[in-house]
Amino acid sequence: MDLNIARTGTTPEVRWDPAAGVLSISGESYPENSFDFFAPVQQWLSMSLATLPGLRVEVSVSYMNSSSIKCMLDIFDALGDAHAAGKKVDVVWNYETDNPRALDLAEEFRSEVSFPFLVHALGS
Amino acid sequence: MTPQQLSRIREEFTREGVMICFNGAFAHTIIEEIGNALRRYLQDQEEQKSAALDVFAVYIEQAQNIRAYLARKQFREPGAGNAIIVIARQGERYVVSSGNIVAAPDQPALAGRLEQIRGSDAAGLKRMFKERLRSDERSPGGGAGMGLIEVARRCTQPLEYAFHSVDADHSFFCLTAVV
Repeated sequence: MDLNIARTGTTPEVRWDPAAGVLSISGESYPENSFDFFAPVQQWLSMSLATLPGLRVEVSVSYMNSSSIKCMLDIFDALGDAHAAGKKVDVVWNYETDNPRALDLAEEFRSEVSFPFLVHALGS
Repeated sequence: MTPQQLSRIREEFTREGVMICFNGAFAHTIIEEIGNALRRYLQDQEEQKSAALDVFAVYIEQAQNIRAYLARKQFREPGAGNAIIVIARQGERYVVSSGNIVAAPDQPALAGRLEQIRGSDAAGLKRMFKERLRSDERSPGGGAGMGLIEVARRCTQPLEYAFHSVDADHSFFCLTAVV
């Protein structure tokens, strides 16, 4: 199932690479209504997790507003449920070393999940 | 507004280190454009990426909070749907101030929340943030209710606020965040 949302000024690119089995979210996220923006992603995820043996979510987001953070946690919770049901899921969170806030955020998310969550520093 | 009045405002802005001031109806596109202007300014100042992001984030949370609240309230009184946001540089600090009309019945809950935030240290704010993150409850503005906590977490001083009574049903709510 396709998922390809282009980046805008306030929303990240969201793209599913079926060959790699990776859902990537990259850019920045501070839309006026984060719940509306992430609803199709959430929907795609629940359908895909029902059929696929697993997937990886790769996040390279340098800034998220608070409501996007909430939506992102909902996504991670869906991954957590899939993980508990035996699916192979993990998250790779990329952050740039000159942006310590992105690292703090990654660590906060990591403390909320029980599946593999790799925090990866990108040199800047 | 007369040229004299305009000059006085400009002088005051210069004295206070005001970089950006907006007063009017807060559409999402305006919030985005002011955000872009703020970023360009911070880049020109060669602020560190993390410091610039803190100022930007505080601005976005304040602006989006107000926008969500006013959109929900749909005040009919002239000018009540307007908001003011001022971003100033004072020495090493950035000050993001905002003002908007709130309905009198909403004031106690908002003041209570702000007092709770003001009384919390970094660990307490982190705890509050996580609680809100895990709560399904929506704030009066319809958001996740984490905006003010997120603002406080990025500030170097406790949030300052005030309510000025406009009439029996409305107050003008001012919030100042120092990053």
